[in-house]
Amino acid sequence: MDDLALERYFDDSIANDSSYMVEEELDLQSSLKQSHASHTNSRNSSNLLVPATAATHQNPELDVLEDSGINLDNSLHGMAAVKRQVAVDLGSKSNASPFCPMTPMTPMTPMTPVTEKSGIIPQLQNIVSTVNLGCPLDLKFIALQARNAEYNPKRFAAVIMRIREPRTTALIFSSGKMVCTGAKCEEQSRLAARKYARVVQKLGFPARFLDFKIQNMVASCDVCFPIRLEGLVLTHQQFSSYEPELFPGLIYRMVKPRIVLLIFVSGKVVLTGAKERAEIYEAFENIYPILKGFRKQ
Amino acid sequence: MFAAGLKCPGCGSSNIVDDDLYCQAQLVCVDCGSVVSEGTLADDPVGGTDVSYSRTTAVTKKPCLNLIKGLERVKEMCRILRLNSEIEDLALTYFRQAYQQESFINVTLQKKEVLAGCCVYVSCRQRDWPITLGTISSLLDADPTLVGGVYQEMIKILNIQAPFVSIADVIEAHVQEYKISAQHVAKELAEDSKVLTKRAVALVELAGDSWIVTGRRPLPIMMAATYLAWQSLNPNKHRLKLSLDKFCHLAKVQKRKPAVMRITELKEVLCKLGRELPWVRETVTQDYVVRLVGDILEHRHTLLTRALRTHETAMQADCPQASALNSPTEEVAPSQCSESRDQTADASSALQLCPTDRTENQEEEDSHQTEDPEPNWGKRVLFAPPCVVHAKRRRAEPPPVQNVTGDEEISDSEIDSYIRTPQEARAFALMQKAVSSSGSGNS
Repeated sequence: MDDLALERYFDDSIANDSSYMVEEELDLQSSLKQSHASHTNSRNSSNLLVPATAATHQNPELDVLEDSGINLDNSLHGMAAVKRQVAVDLGSKSNASPFCPMTPMTPMTPMTPVTEKSGIIPQLQNIVSTVNLGCPLDLKFIALQARNAEYNPKRFAAVIMRIREPRTTALIFSSGKMVCTGAKCEEQSRLAARKYARVVQKLGFPARFLDFKIQNMVASCDVCFPIRLEGLVLTHQQFSSYEPELFPGLIYRMVKPRIVLLIFVSGKVVLTGAKERAEIYEAFENIYPILKGFRKQ
Repeated sequence: MFAAGLKCPGCGSSNIVDDDLYCQAQLVCVDCGSVVSEGTLADDPVGGTDVSYSRTTAVTKKPCLNLIKGLERVKEMCRILRLNSEIEDLALTYFRQAYQQESFINVTLQKKEVLAGCCVYVSCRQRDWPITLGTISSLLDADPTLVGGVYQEMIKILNIQAPFVSIADVIEAHVQEYKISAQHVAKELAEDSKVLTKRAVALVELAGDSWIVTGRRPLPIMMAATYLAWQSLNPNKHRLKLSLDKFCHLAKVQKRKPAVMRITELKEVLCKLGRELPWVRETVTQDYVVRLVGDILEHRHTLLTRALRTHETAMQADCPQASALNSPTEEVAPSQCSESRDQTADASSALQLCPTDRTENQEEEDSHQTEDPEPNWGKRVLFAPPCVVHAKRRRAEPPPVQNVTGDEEISDSEIDSYIRTPQEARAFALMQKAVSSSGSGNS
């Protein structure tokens, strides 16, 4: 990195926080390290919206550090990203300076896991779950006797049943297995699956409720700033796939947790592939600092 | 050896032996010497050999015909596109690898041809040769969706990565396609290819900076940039009168419908910058701005800074409080302009308050998010992706149901409402029978 670029990089990160009154001569490293800790402490207490599971990711040793009073915003976008991404990706450490996207940052601190709460919570949009009713079913009979069922054996070998509350759809197979989709939370999915099982029971089959399992959860949120997808695909090439000719969004396959994110230029993010709610929150907290890094470019 | 149970038709004796002395197996009567029965002359059993062709060594010695054809197709495409030998070799390697894979060995010939095209495409991208998938699709004369699907599958199976192709690289090749040099068209409409390319590249870069390019298909943008570049290089009345349709007809390229919208968006950006030109007296409209394009592109960094500053003061004049509470705004930041970056830093410094205030902002944000998309952050900044500025109206989401445990009681009446009464079921069955019988009657 040439001198001019290095200067600009530091200018940028200093310019990002107005409360950062320090001049360039000051030891950037130590103050940033301290303030990160204090920042997380204060953020932790004030931000009640984040679920408990996310908070546990914090390194307990941070609590010991003194509160220095300097409160930084997330200017070191790379920092939070580093702790999460297990992948062998040096590029993710960089804050994607426009001049040298692949230059790793000088390591400021040992990799203390710093939680940067984004304050945005992804909203669950769809839950897919499966359950085993435990007995073979006569689909023709079900389609005949149930009001809310459709069955076209030539098109698909299952009965499609719908209930109004919670508004969901179920695919019921002749083996007795059932897939329930459309619920907005895990409990609703379970309730809906139970209702479908009850309908099948009422129709005369010895239906049970075995091995209920959530298979997939889809959530979405909006970071409210536009994202330079071209930049993101350059620095995170191993995880991203961005083909504007095929699809307008960038497909980011996160390694830990194993979630696929669809990132759009408008700042909207769709997260899918989770089996638990915590995975979605974790994935979003991982991606948010990376996205912020591409904001002012 | 005696073959039991057989009687010689000649003498009736049962003294029949199996004679293997000669190449043909025969059953011969010992007493009279007549042949009772004989085997087939050929050694192969009926229905072909025991070992199928695909398992013989002939397969490895002579490769599959379609593989050879596919390799020839790859070479042909490389020749048409005038690619160097390195890219050609890489494409051939990929094709050989991909061809053996399960998902490509038993597919239609068209898909194999598309695979050949995709191999060429990937090799070009890996060797920094700018090319679009659209070009490959038109070469193969195949549906771009199909080509896209095969391409995605191929890179997944071969586990390769293709570096991103920026639109500024591709536009040079794109402009070459337009036949509007002096030898093709009239003098006042003709334009030198190099000059046209230079201006088109500048326009595309400007479009990229102002969020018109990200997430969109590159071809319509390139077409819009070329058209505007051509118009602005000599904005005489002939050129200004010519619509995009006629221009494409003139230059013998196929018009893309989205290009019209891109032209409008690009002109809007140019207007925003053109307004900052100090020597312009008239109002800068979409029609007028074409004449100013040259100046705008020449001074675009300065104009960008000025436009941002004007926008900032306008926003602060409008709503001094709102700017402090706004979600962080995004401004265009041209890479060389540190001045503008300071601008944006100053602007957003108001937003970077201490954490307690930040949480307030977040809560505001959250409440805004749950509300109607009324506080559209896209409308508050100077440049934003068009999909944000013209956000789709969402239908009102029903409020999320709270406190569902999943283990609630399920009322019988609710379940009964989903089950047909016996009369209903009978009627339904009759109706189904009637429908199916009338259907079979008609067919």
